[in-house]
Amino acid sequence: MNVDTQNDDNVLIKVRNLRKSFDKQEVLKGVNLDVHTGEKIAIIGPSGCGKSTFLRCVNCLEDPDGGSIMFEGEDLADMKVDINIHRQRIGMVFQQFNLFNNLNVLDNITLAPIIVAKRNRKKGQTVKEIKEKEQEKAYKLLEQIGLADKAKAYPSTLSGGQKQRIAIIRALAMNPKVMLFDEPTSALDPEMVGEVLDLMKKLANDGMTMVIVTHEIGFAREVANKIIFMNDGVIEEENAPEQFFAHPSSPRLKEFLSKVL
Amino acid sequence: MEKQWNNFCRELFDNGGYKDVLNGLLATVEIAVFGLIIGIIIGTLIAMVKVVPKYKILPRILEKVVDVYVGFFRGTPMVVQLLLGYFVLLPLLGIAVDSIIVAIVIFGLNSGAYVSEIMRAGIQSVDSGQLEAGRALGLSYGKTMMRIVIPQSIKNILPTLGNEFITLIKETSVVSFIAVVDLTKAFRQIGAAHYEYLVPYVVLALVYLVLVMLIALGVKMIERRFKRSERRYSK
Ligand SMILES: Nc1ncnc2c1ncn2[C@@H]1O[C@H](COP(=O)(O)OP(=O)(O)O)[C@@H](O)[C@H]1O
Ligand SMILES: [Mg+2]
Repeated sequence: MNVDTQNDDNVLIKVRNLRKSFDKQEVLKGVNLDVHTGEKIAIIGPSGCGKSTFLRCVNCLEDPDGGSIMFEGEDLADMKVDINIHRQRIGMVFQQFNLFNNLNVLDNITLAPIIVAKRNRKKGQTVKEIKEKEQEKAYKLLEQIGLADKAKAYPSTLSGGQKQRIAIIRALAMNPKVMLFDEPTSALDPEMVGEVLDLMKKLANDGMTMVIVTHEIGFAREVANKIIFMNDGVIEEENAPEQFFAHPSSPRLKEFLSKVL
Repeated sequence: MEKQWNNFCRELFDNGGYKDVLNGLLATVEIAVFGLIIGIIIGTLIAMVKVVPKYKILPRILEKVVDVYVGFFRGTPMVVQLLLGYFVLLPLLGIAVDSIIVAIVIFGLNSGAYVSEIMRAGIQSVDSGQLEAGRALGLSYGKTMMRIVIPQSIKNILPTLGNEFITLIKETSVVSFIAVVDLTKAFRQIGAAHYEYLVPYVVLALVYLVLVMLIALGVKMIERRFKRSERRYSK
């Protein structure tokens, strides 16, 4: 049985034999993963096993050394593709939020969408119209997370939880096909973890395709439809959440779970 | 001493010396201001060449070119650069350009070599996560640098840029080598009228000192405004 060909229409990102080394250290040793439209995949694993590197390779923030990443009919690992176009459709949320400190919240959200809209400008559309449209969209997103009153605030005045929620809607404002999260709650004070996870749950319920590196096992179990255990540069085990936690097969996963659960 | 003071006053006010002084002051400020603007533009471009990842061949070639440029302008005296520009390069090119324009261009080129180092430090002072966030949103490297990283680095290096401006103001005192009448030249002419240099040169020094202090004050005020603009919407 070939699962790949069965669901090929639905496969949004197809990663094959992805390899990445830093100097002599081989960090990714051939990773294979299919991300189907609407899927929520949680990636767990010990620190340093290559989770961030994997996520960063998917949108080529790190250039892969080998393998392929098929997305919308093109191989992102091929240095010849225009990666910027594809990145517009792959949202990314970082552990450290990475808001633009020189821009207020509204400009943080609208900067990239305005640039893209200007490039794809329709006839007769003025720059002012483009800006207003994107700002309106940004306000709607801000209202959804209850932060519309922060539109003119600068990042340095926000709490960690607020920053991360704005980083999430900044990515959403590009209308991405998939969202990648790299430990989105790890840099937060404990009391702020909840608000960020709630927003991510809402996204998941709205049908967003998500790949989430996380240490929040409870969250992964609740939201993900597939959980992946990464270890030493490979995917060591993947399964639906119930199976994954109830019947882990790899001894290293058993050991890992015994530590984190 | 009193006679010298009186002679100075007569040259300055009655014999029209003040006109040269005002024009000289204007020339000094013009050369420094436009030189710094050109310097910031060139310095930013050089700094970007320096920090851009060097996977491809073009950035590597550019880096070599930039190294030669910076090496030349930091390795030779400003006066020599002025002389080369005005008496060698211009005749070679066969074009006639006002000497103050030459001074502005040479000061700009020279300043670019210094500003590039300042700017590089500024760029590196902005955490790389913001660059990555820009790239992850699909913005090009250049766009992300221009909209996100460079504005923040300029803010971070504002005091150092202020110092560069002060350095330029002081260095303009050599532009009379290529026949620009600047502040220094204007006062030298006043002194030359009676071969009495004590008063004109002391006053000249004071004028530079006041100019430099005013600039330092201005930089402080701009800095404070920058800081405030981020704090304004704190609620
Ligand atoms: N830019 C880099 N340069 C060199 N080594 C790196 C770099 N990024 C990650 N590494 C190394 O790769 C390994 C995997 O890192 P990472 O993907 O961040 O792990 P994880 O996210 O699972 O904790 C680590 O040993 C780390 O030190
Ligand atoms: Mg990590």
